[in-house]
Amino acid sequence: MRNSKSERSGYLFILPWLLGLVLFTLGPMLFSLILSFSKWDIITGIKSIEWVGLDNFKQIFHDDMFYQSLKVTFIFALVSVPLYQIVALFTAMLLNMRSRGMHVFRLVYFMPSVIPAVATSMMWIMIFNPEYGVLNRALGWFGIQGPAWLQDPHYALGALVVMGIWSVGNTIIIYLSGLQGVPEDLYEAASLDGAGIFRRFVSVTLPMISPTIFFNLVMGIIGGFQYFTEAFVMTSGGPLNSTLFYNLYLYNKAFKDYEMGYASALSWILFIIILFFTLLVVRSSSMWVYYQGDEERD
Amino acid sequence: MNYSVKRWNLPRIVAFLLLLGGACIVLVPLLWTVAVSLKTPAEVFKDNFFPKVWKWANYANAVQAIPFFTFLKNTLTILIPVLIGTVFSSAVSAYGFARFNFKGKRALFLVLLATMMLPSQVTMIPMFLMFKELGWVDTFLPLIVPAFFGGGAFNIFLIRQFMRGIPKELDESAYVDGASRMQIFLRIMLPLSKPPLIAVAIFTFMGVWNDFQGPLIYLNSNEHYTLALGLSMFKGLYNVEWNMLMAATILIMLPVLITFFIAQKYFIEGISISSAVKG
Repeated sequence: MRNSKSERSGYLFILPWLLGLVLFTLGPMLFSLILSFSKWDIITGIKSIEWVGLDNFKQIFHDDMFYQSLKVTFIFALVSVPLYQIVALFTAMLLNMRSRGMHVFRLVYFMPSVIPAVATSMMWIMIFNPEYGVLNRALGWFGIQGPAWLQDPHYALGALVVMGIWSVGNTIIIYLSGLQGVPEDLYEAASLDGAGIFRRFVSVTLPMISPTIFFNLVMGIIGGFQYFTEAFVMTSGGPLNSTLFYNLYLYNKAFKDYEMGYASALSWILFIIILFFTLLVVRSSSMWVYYQGDEERD
Repeated sequence: MNYSVKRWNLPRIVAFLLLLGGACIVLVPLLWTVAVSLKTPAEVFKDNFFPKVWKWANYANAVQAIPFFTFLKNTLTILIPVLIGTVFSSAVSAYGFARFNFKGKRALFLVLLATMMLPSQVTMIPMFLMFKELGWVDTFLPLIVPAFFGGGAFNIFLIRQFMRGIPKELDESAYVDGASRMQIFLRIMLPLSKPPLIAVAIFTFMGVWNDFQGPLIYLNSNEHYTLALGLSMFKGLYNVEWNMLMAATILIMLPVLITFFIAQKYFIEGISISSAVKG
């Protein structure tokens, strides 16, 4: 059905999205790029926009807080991404057993990931409370004196990592659907060849779900760079900037200090970092990702 | 890993115990929060896990101390138009991509997919400045209006994939019978696309209900706060005790948890689809 009338209706139907693309994506991107090379006064607005060339970027590369926020974000990503993958994959494998009651377990494990981040944060502020929080009380039963968690610069970031394990349900579900896509006969063939549980895991499961691992890896890194609500609500980046995530620093620069040009420059650096890691993982994936249905993709 | 043997052997029992232990780790923080929400302020600091007297009045006090119903009204004022805008405009755009041939369609579709990868931080600041120039800051408009322009790349993609699976003969025969494109969309495509539309509606509801950074940026005055924003802002105020905050926390969780239990299949499918799309 390709005629000029059909073409026109086609454009008409995608018009809302096209307008949105220009107004809320491409336009702002261009504006943001200009801003990152400019100074912008929040009070006088567009009239006082002033081109400053590379000044924002030069300043950023001499900014201790910028490096601190990069450090926090990278440490968090390097620790939490592999940790969550292992926990989620292991749990998904347990949940993939065929047995009655599995359905209930799946619901329980998945539940925390639908809870609003603000609610989760409020809960965990209580749980991490050094004196009366349930975590340190539980540790106390084993004779362990728990740390001050969110109030201690050595433990605050670790506390957020621990909290994240609790809501790893999303990742579990992704692994679960990956595991369910592994053909049963592969396991049977491996068993017939005398492969034990461990061998089956390494030779069948891992290669078959490598696309899922790959997806989770990319999303995990991106997630680390966009981490915001929990850090904002629970620690505001403290104590001693030990939880100053990149995105939180960007927010502070834009909406506390109103340095819009500087913050825009930060947002482009964030974009480039995310793009770099995404491309890196996509590029390297051909070496270790096995797509079962490659030829089916269009 | 799939176990073809259904007997209760040792590895199976160990696996079951591990799952049980994990489930406790998931549930204890929630149970404890419920317990704290029902304690007296003094009891919050005591050792007992469950309250001695279950103070249901905490909930009644919490919704007054934290202006819960004002925040609820604000959240709904944003939620309802966003739901309508997102579902309708993503369905319209999806129909355009699913059923028409026009110049540049492939390229535009690639752009659509690419925008899913764009971090929102890049557009956040210019959008704020734009809405500020329009005088929309501290109104609900910046949180509502964008929903009417396409309703999100992922939603369009989800519905478009589903619509491509609907037999073309259905709308072509209606077209021959003299129905207009819009009629075909409203009377044939929309009713047949119920599953992805419901999924989009649920994700949108969750997204708006849970959104924090958006309201934080755009809403400045207390009486405009949404539930998510309001809850965090009342943390540490002198007249708001921990038991009340936890009561409010539970109240905010309830609607999403209820939605989750009613519509679990959409959540689980939605997540699997999104990983298949992006991966």
